[in-house]
Amino acid sequence: MPPKGPLHLQKEVLQVEQCTGCGLCAGLCPYFNVVDERVALTSTCGLSEGLCYEVCPRTPTDWELIDRTVFGAPRQDHVLGHWQGLYYARAGEAAPAIEGKQYGGTVTALVAFALTQGLAHGALLTSGLPGDFPVPVLARTMDEVLAAAGSKYSATPTLQALVGAMRDGLGSMVVVGRPCQVLAVRKLQSVKRRTPVTNLTAGTKLFLLGLFCFWALSSAFYERFLPSKLNPLEVTRLDLPPYELVVSTPKGELRLPVDELRPLIRPACEVCFDPTAEFADLTVGSTEDDPRWNTLLARSALGSELLEAATAAGWLEVRPYPADRVHLLREAVARKKRRVVTGPAGPPPYLFLQEAYHRGVVAAEEESGCS
Amino acid sequence: MQLNMDRPGVTIFLQGNAALARGALEAGVDYATSYPGSPTVEILELLAQVARQCGFYAEWSVNEKVAVEGAAAASLAGLRALAITKADGLNVALDFLTCLGLTGVRGGLVLVVGDDPSGHSSVKEEDTRFLARVAHLPVLEPTTPQEAKEMVGVAFRLSEHLAQPVVLRTVTRICHAGGNVTLGPLPQERRRPSLGTEDRFICVPRQHLQQEQKLREAAKLAEAWNLVSYEGPAKAETLIVASGPGLLYAREAVKRLQRQDQVGLVGLKMVWPLPETVLQRYLQVARRVLVVEEIEPFIEEQIAALIGRNAGEWPLLRLYGRKDNTIAGSFGGGCGELTPDLVRAALTTILGLSAPEETGFRTEFRPPERELAFCAGCPHRASFWALQSAIALDGRRAVVLGDIGCYTLGRGRSGYRVLHTVHAMGSGLGLASGFGKLKEWNWERPTVAVLGDSTFYHAALPALINALYNRSDLLLVIFDNETTAMTGHQPHPGREVDARGEPAKPVSLEQILHGLGVPLKIQDPYDVRSSMRAIYRALKEEDVRALILRGPCALLRDRKLAQLRTYVDQMRCLGEGCGCNVFCSRVWACPANRWDGLRGKAYIDETLCTGCGACAQLCPAGAIRTEGGEAPWREG
Ligand SMILES: Cc1cc2nc3c(=O)[nH]c(=O)nc-3n(C[C@H](O)[C@H](O)[C@H](O)COP(=O)(O)OP(=O)(O)OC[C@H]3O[C@@H](n4cnc5c(N)ncnc54)[C@H](O)[C@@H]3O)c2cc1C
Ligand code: SF4
Ligand code: SF4
Repeated sequence: MPPKGPLHLQKEVLQVEQCTGCGLCAGLCPYFNVVDERVALTSTCGLSEGLCYEVCPRTPTDWELIDRTVFGAPRQDHVLGHWQGLYYARAGEAAPAIEGKQYGGTVTALVAFALTQGLAHGALLTSGLPGDFPVPVLARTMDEVLAAAGSKYSATPTLQALVGAMRDGLGSMVVVGRPCQVLAVRKLQSVKRRTPVTNLTAGTKLFLLGLFCFWALSSAFYERFLPSKLNPLEVTRLDLPPYELVVSTPKGELRLPVDELRPLIRPACEVCFDPTAEFADLTVGSTEDDPRWNTLLARSALGSELLEAATAAGWLEVRPYPADRVHLLREAVARKKRRVVTGPAGPPPYLFLQEAYHRGVVAAEEESGCS
Repeated sequence: MQLNMDRPGVTIFLQGNAALARGALEAGVDYATSYPGSPTVEILELLAQVARQCGFYAEWSVNEKVAVEGAAAASLAGLRALAITKADGLNVALDFLTCLGLTGVRGGLVLVVGDDPSGHSSVKEEDTRFLARVAHLPVLEPTTPQEAKEMVGVAFRLSEHLAQPVVLRTVTRICHAGGNVTLGPLPQERRRPSLGTEDRFICVPRQHLQQEQKLREAAKLAEAWNLVSYEGPAKAETLIVASGPGLLYAREAVKRLQRQDQVGLVGLKMVWPLPETVLQRYLQVARRVLVVEEIEPFIEEQIAALIGRNAGEWPLLRLYGRKDNTIAGSFGGGCGELTPDLVRAALTTILGLSAPEETGFRTEFRPPERELAFCAGCPHRASFWALQSAIALDGRRAVVLGDIGCYTLGRGRSGYRVLHTVHAMGSGLGLASGFGKLKEWNWERPTVAVLGDSTFYHAALPALINALYNRSDLLLVIFDNETTAMTGHQPHPGREVDARGEPAKPVSLEQILHGLGVPLKIQDPYDVRSSMRAIYRALKEEDVRALILRGPCALLRDRKLAQLRTYVDQMRCLGEGCGCNVFCSRVWACPANRWDGLRGKAYIDETLCTGCGACAQLCPAGAIRTEGGEAPWREG
């Protein structure tokens, strides 16, 4: 395949609304920019080949190849990908109180633990006021980590700040991201160059904490939807418990059926093959059962080590995943994946599945009996 | 040297503009106004410096119309008044001027207008003589700085004699040329304003008749007042009629071709109305006539008409000039500035000589072509970068209407070619008002007007009010560098000082916009990413809204104060290998961003760098570093 660059990225991803808003390209060069979660190629560098194209999570990606680079082998489990452990988890006794935590505060506790232990020198998180576009932060203090707790349900381009942080020589960091962002970072890490020029990630150790993610909202949510309902400046909290959106203000709560949000889903999310951040070191999601807990998947050795250390220190509390709920999780994930692979238009262009992977997804679905 | 030194008879070297200013002093000017415009900017600057001392008034006016109106007021009150503009500026004043030409004036009123052949520092090469003709005003034109100085006095006398404003038209090559000027005496007495109980100046169509009479009278005076010159044989079959610098070029051509005994040279100092009686004398005996004048074939056409009126009485004669491309002009096709070579080539042709003689003297030096660019550290570069990025992000292909000022460069590479139109002062906003109504055709492209602070005061208000009243959709972006930078930092109505350096009452942009109810944001352009967001968000809004990008002109910032030392860490710079493809010196292209060809790395020319730090925010490798101060917008 001839090398591709920014103009291809523009044509194959941006112009066809396949951009996930991960933000990675916008941190690579001054020609890609992002404002209010809209990413664009704002001028041209004149080069025909670029890292931007190579690392974007929506340019063609060989799933098996990434499995091999991250975990050293193809996967056995075609629903959840590589994993070493599946748990219920939440912030432990030793962790500081996490006021704005989404569910069990697992993510915040892990980040805070890594920072205080000196395992990481910074953490790439998503912060901001609830009524406006969230903002990426490179957190270095406990206050910043705590302030970033809670899910923001839009496609915050957190990775915009990643390259700058690595270039500034941050030796190790935690990146908390949506699955598309985890994939983007993995693609960046797999770029092999002899020169230090593009071998960006060599100097930085990364802990990738992935989030479950079935969809994110488009910019229209903050630009039009919220202002049409109330004054966004007054919003104190946004919540998405199952089936509804709860907007809290000092005047009270506004409850809206989740169906009102459907038209606002980012188009790229409709064809997302990875709801569970399959390439992360650890993946955290809801339990769909008990909001005080999280689902936690330990995937890599690095992830398991962090998990064990945090648990041993009392920053994290884990318990076995309830056996009767495993199939619910697998079904939900398999359903989304199969829809993407077997949709009327066929698998989306970015998704390159080897034969075994393709069969695996379809078979897993049949075996679980859902359709 | 002081312009007002009282040493009559002494000869000093003066620039044309300084000579004009000195001429005004010697003529006892009482009231001088101007809006800065090249090539005549320095005249008012020089006058303002000595105004208080010499006991007259000088101001930078908000625009040329008001400048001429102010000067006219002084004239109606019996004072000697001078209004200085560039050609384009006279257009702004023309509506008033055509009326003033009807009512006439009292004290001498002289309009010094600088034309800019080839438009060296203008968007067009406009010939003022046509405007003066529309307003029925006599036009004088000098050939040298000395003559320019004298001519101011002549113009005042003529204006008073006719009770009509007089235009002193000059061109860049006179304004910016230097020459020996012998000083005359300065007046000792000063006039006092007065207005008689019966004095009325009310313009009515019937006054047209008086205007024509005044012009006939002016033409008659030309010879007595030495406003036509002649050199050459008593009866010349080959005649050159020339004015302004053209007269010098013609004289030189005749000399070089050694045809002094064959070619007659008429020099016109009064170029409108045509001094027909004098001209007739020479035209009657000529067989071929070459007209050498700046910009348009104005005299040429008057002479053609004169020949026509005398058909049958004079022997046949052939007329040459710009019209038939004998004078090619530096743009070709009879357009563009004169040069000595062009005039000599024209004379060679009509004399039927072969190839132009080799003089061994290069009169035309062509410096390498360089594209105009913003200065190092200019806030406009950052503003345009943010603007073009925001427009691309917005994705609706905003239409950007440009205006007149430094930011006019936004049409070229230095402004990332973001401007769609550039016309006249303030007209970008008027165009925006129109584009902003195209929504009635379901036109979805946003409209952006880009204009500077000085231009805003000059001409933006009526267009802005129009847009508001008619509910147009537009984003007004004011590139506020807190000065009139293009012409050399003259103060404008937003400043605390006036032309004479005295305290003024600043009129704030914000207050005007607030008063009109225009939603407004103010943003520091050097904070590039925030500017991008501010513009992006403002693009999404509707109706009339404004954004001020406020950063002082890089040439004005105090370099010693709080400046960030900005440099390239060549260890971090990725050179050719960086995916940015030489962003700093090739794309961003601040003159201080340079390329070290030897090492294949970027560097910053610290003698040019103003320490704005904008490039440091954009270098993707983080190789451009700042130290010695923290810019508030530095992230991370
Ligand atoms: C857009 C989105 C969609 C999601 N959809 C689902 C779902 O369908 N099912 C499910 O089980 N879980 C989903 N999650 C995950 C879930 O909401 C929680 O983030 C997760 O369970 C962790 O909970 P916690 O209590 O540990 O979080 P906390 O301790 O509160 O920490 C949350 C962390 O997420 C980061 N974060 C917040 N918003 C974003 C964002 N937009 N992009 C990247 N990082 C962000 C914050 O920086 C913070 O560090 C989604 C999350 C997001 C951001
Ligand atoms: S998905 Fe990420 S890398 Fe790809 S275009 Fe969007 S922001 Fe850029
Ligand atoms: S900091 Fe950069 S942009 Fe600013 S003046 Fe210096 S080189 Fe130019």
